[in-house]
Amino acid sequence: MISRPSIRARSAVVIALVGFVVGACGPSSATSSPSASAPIAPSVSGSVAPSSVGPSSVAPGGSPVAASLTVGLGYIASVQFAPFYLAQQAGYYKAEGLTVTFQNKIDPDLVALVGQGSIDLGLSDGTSVIPAVSNAIPIRYLTTIYRQFPSIVFGKASSGIKTAADLKGKKIGIPGKYGSSWIMLQALLASVNLKTDDVTIVEYPDFGQGAAVAQGAVDAATGFVNNEPIQLQRSGTPTFILHVDDVTPLPGPGLIASTATIAAKHDAIGGFVRATLRAMDDIIADPAKGVDASIAVEPTLGQDRALQTAILNATIEAWKASGGNDTLGVIDRTSWQKSLDFMTTLGLVPNPVTIDDLVVEDFVKAS
Amino acid sequence: MNRAAVGSVVASFAVFVIAWKLVVLVGGYPPFILPSPEVVGQRFVRAWADGIIEPHALATLVEIGLGFTVGAGTGLLVGYALARSALVERIISPYVVAAQATPILALAPLLALWFGPGLISKVVICGLIVFFPIAVSTMVGVRSVDRGLLELARSFRATRRQVLTTLEIPGALPSILGGMRVGVTLAVVGAIVGEWAGADRGLGVLVNLARGSLFDIPLMFATLATIAMVGIALYLVVVFAERRLVGVR
Repeated sequence: MISRPSIRARSAVVIALVGFVVGACGPSSATSSPSASAPIAPSVSGSVAPSSVGPSSVAPGGSPVAASLTVGLGYIASVQFAPFYLAQQAGYYKAEGLTVTFQNKIDPDLVALVGQGSIDLGLSDGTSVIPAVSNAIPIRYLTTIYRQFPSIVFGKASSGIKTAADLKGKKIGIPGKYGSSWIMLQALLASVNLKTDDVTIVEYPDFGQGAAVAQGAVDAATGFVNNEPIQLQRSGTPTFILHVDDVTPLPGPGLIASTATIAAKHDAIGGFVRATLRAMDDIIADPAKGVDASIAVEPTLGQDRALQTAILNATIEAWKASGGNDTLGVIDRTSWQKSLDFMTTLGLVPNPVTIDDLVVEDFVKAS
Repeated sequence: MNRAAVGSVVASFAVFVIAWKLVVLVGGYPPFILPSPEVVGQRFVRAWADGIIEPHALATLVEIGLGFTVGAGTGLLVGYALARSALVERIISPYVVAAQATPILALAPLLALWFGPGLISKVVICGLIVFFPIAVSTMVGVRSVDRGLLELARSFRATRRQVLTTLEIPGALPSILGGMRVGVTLAVVGAIVGEWAGADRGLGVLVNLARGSLFDIPLMFATLATIAMVGIALYLVVVFAERRLVGVR
């Protein structure tokens, strides 16, 4: 691993040589990128430097030093992140010897920032990890948070749509032909031998597809299981939801880290995963704890506690899916393989990768 | 352009590419942070050959063309009115300045909401950003026309149209074309900002797709290079028109 002084010196040489700064790269990229391609250390912690090993390193004075982790949640404060808030507030991270800082903001570059090492851990779809790793971004998926793929197709029950086959000839609203919802829709249609040409795609780049369903402008739309269908149901409209997991399991959002971070902070990441899964268990047992923890982070969420509770309940179902509490966090290699195969047929995997290139199962039980 | 000028352009481009390559080599940056120029060059060629960039580039060009036409047309009319009427200047200029002072990035989502995610919102955003430099340059240009010549024309009982076509337009043209140089490059910015506020096609959309969905950073750089080329090409068109109309400046 390259030491910091030498990297700074190299950075200075770069600046002196060319006379301009590559703004987008910044100092953190310069320090972390060379090590980003380093192989992952074995799961024993003895192979990495003491200062970065883990949760309770010892400072020169003899007092324990908490390992610090920066975690990007990729979205603004929301009840869907309740386990992270609860683990922080209940002291679960502290008990693991961790100082955790969350970045609770919309971050379209989260995967690259994690790969770069600017952020230690991030929350990302499995369907994003596959093209990212295929394009040589050195990240790995560590822990499943959503066992059920949260992107779904939904609509009014009065549309008569009950199965994926019923979508034939219907108008479907989507934000755009990209991302996890587009992959999900194609997988759902392919499961009943349909293609996107067999339906009428209506794009809503402003994410207005939920309103379009409510107004009857489209028969169905893509959305998230813990968002649009709940809003529609609360307006008193019976809804249907089609889950892609029923036909083609896709890996949902989970924790990711760079290979370099996994090597350098292996034990700290293990502690973070344990503490987060512990908080998920707590919330499944008593969802009110999750709602309270979320409101403590973002008080405006308390304005409609019933809505937040409904969102959290739907989120909990997506964490568990068909499995019980003992499957929390587990990485399902079968769904990863199916997803990889399907995304390869869509041309989203430019360079071949295997499941072992995508996931690290050191931190959770194998499925 | 003579041989020396072409040589200096080629040399400056070569220096840029070499500096870029040095940054990658010395900094040891992986391709997902800063791809090397040859990687971007190969991706650029492949993306055009595969037809990935073309439909997005065409969509952006249409937005730029319409947005520039609307923005420049309105800017010319308003700029002339501002130059010739103190009342119009008093009434309109606060709104013109306010429109320019409000960040287009903040306005774009609102305009997309009002005009929808289709072509119209892009044309409006593009037009808004183009409008100010052309309105101001037109106003300055028309006001700079020699007052003595204007009085001479009036003494010969020249009609308003004759004054406009023989004195004001030729006199203001250098300034107007200067504003158009700025406006045409801002039109590219306006189209991309409009696409980021909501679109399903365009070079701005492709930048976001390559960055956040495909994780194809060389494609993102290839798209940025295309955007830069579009800007340079349009700027050169205005420079060419300027040289034909008012000579080398």
